[in-house]
Amino acid sequence: MNNISRRDALRVGGLSVFGAAFLAACGKQSGVVPSANILSEGAVTPTTALPEGVVTDTVLLRTAASLEYNAIELYDLILNDGMLTGDYAKLTDAVKRFRDDHQAHANTVNALAVSLGGKAHTCANDRMNRLYIQPALKLVTEKGNPDTSRDIIALVHAMENIGVQTYQGFVATLAAPSLRAEVMRIATDEARHSVVFAQVLNGGYASVGPTNNETTGKPNIASVPAAFGSLSSVLLSVGTPNVDNLKPTLTLETPSLNGLIYDFVDCQ
Amino acid sequence: MTTAQARFPRSTPPAQPTDADKQLLQFAQGVELAARDLYKKAADSGKYADDELAMLTLFGEHHNSYAQAMNGLIGKAATNTRNDSLYSTHVGQLASPQSAYASLQSLENTLAATNTDILGQLAGLDAARILASIITIEARMAAVFGTLPSLSITSAMNASANSLAPKIAQVKMATTETTVAP
Repeated sequence: MNNISRRDALRVGGLSVFGAAFLAACGKQSGVVPSANILSEGAVTPTTALPEGVVTDTVLLRTAASLEYNAIELYDLILNDGMLTGDYAKLTDAVKRFRDDHQAHANTVNALAVSLGGKAHTCANDRMNRLYIQPALKLVTEKGNPDTSRDIIALVHAMENIGVQTYQGFVATLAAPSLRAEVMRIATDEARHSVVFAQVLNGGYASVGPTNNETTGKPNIASVPAAFGSLSSVLLSVGTPNVDNLKPTLTLETPSLNGLIYDFVDCQ
Repeated sequence: MTTAQARFPRSTPPAQPTDADKQLLQFAQGVELAARDLYKKAADSGKYADDELAMLTLFGEHHNSYAQAMNGLIGKAATNTRNDSLYSTHVGQLASPQSAYASLQSLENTLAATNTDILGQLAGLDAARILASIITIEARMAAVFGTLPSLSITSAMNASANSLAPKIAQVKMATTETTVAP
């Protein structure tokens, strides 16, 4: 004998109707053109994913080249805009020489990159420019800054230190030991640039080693800031002083993973 | 391969110094100890005072720190003996402040060049990292002697020096991979 009651039959029938309606809603509907856009209004522009960035010796060398071009552009700006005035005008020959040194460094690292099968990179690092150089230049050149010449030297001093630290940091990542020596030869050159500017900004025997500003407690510019080369961030104080006679301080860092010049990055 | 994985070369170099590295670092320690003793000789000469003396003492301490860092890297393999040849080359020129500065600048340039050549032969990354951080400071110390007592760009940028680094070949490391028979 069948034990299904009238109430059970109605319940099963209701569920069947609901299930059919649900499945119909999930499936294709007649007369509707399939679209990649799901529950969206308007058309979404298709996106193209960036290629995978692989950090190789070539990428590190191309990144080094890009930093060299940052320095070349900065030195050219100083020369072309006549930013060295007063006593600082004496540094014009040094600035020309250092710019040429950076061009030679760029040629060297690009030649190494090409010898490894990579492409030469002959323009500045856009990310370093946007994050650090342009904001610093804005402060250096703003109206009311009484120390434009001093501050532009402070900026190139900081960039020389960033260059030294970048090469020093690459030593731990470069696969070929001979490349480590090659990049450190360039780093020593840039360390010497840094010392020249450090002596201009804070000269004398007492300023060779590390000292601190008595008012702010911040480290003063030093020719030999520590026993071992640092890889920490570089502080840069430039711009119009505030009421306490303190200049704004920027923090500069070496290129991170998203600042490297991967194989797919080209000059614009 | 992720970006993080890609950061490291496929055959990751060893962190610890290899046997060849240890010989190279022994040599590097010897030249650092010679530099330490040369600065001590200059500082003890009585020809320098105040900030100038403090600077020379600081530079000598830096070289002592480098020798100690190498002790940490090579442990029992450390000889802790100075390179007498390098010491003898420079010690006679410390008599007058002017010749002393030229000699100490030449010393620092020699150390930077020697350590850079050693770096180019090292397999171990720990030692490579430390040596790189030493090289930049030795270049800075060399440049200081070109900027004091008066600034000379030509002298500050003078990096001419002969590397004293020995050539020591790395022994090919045995692979830990095993072949599985088909």
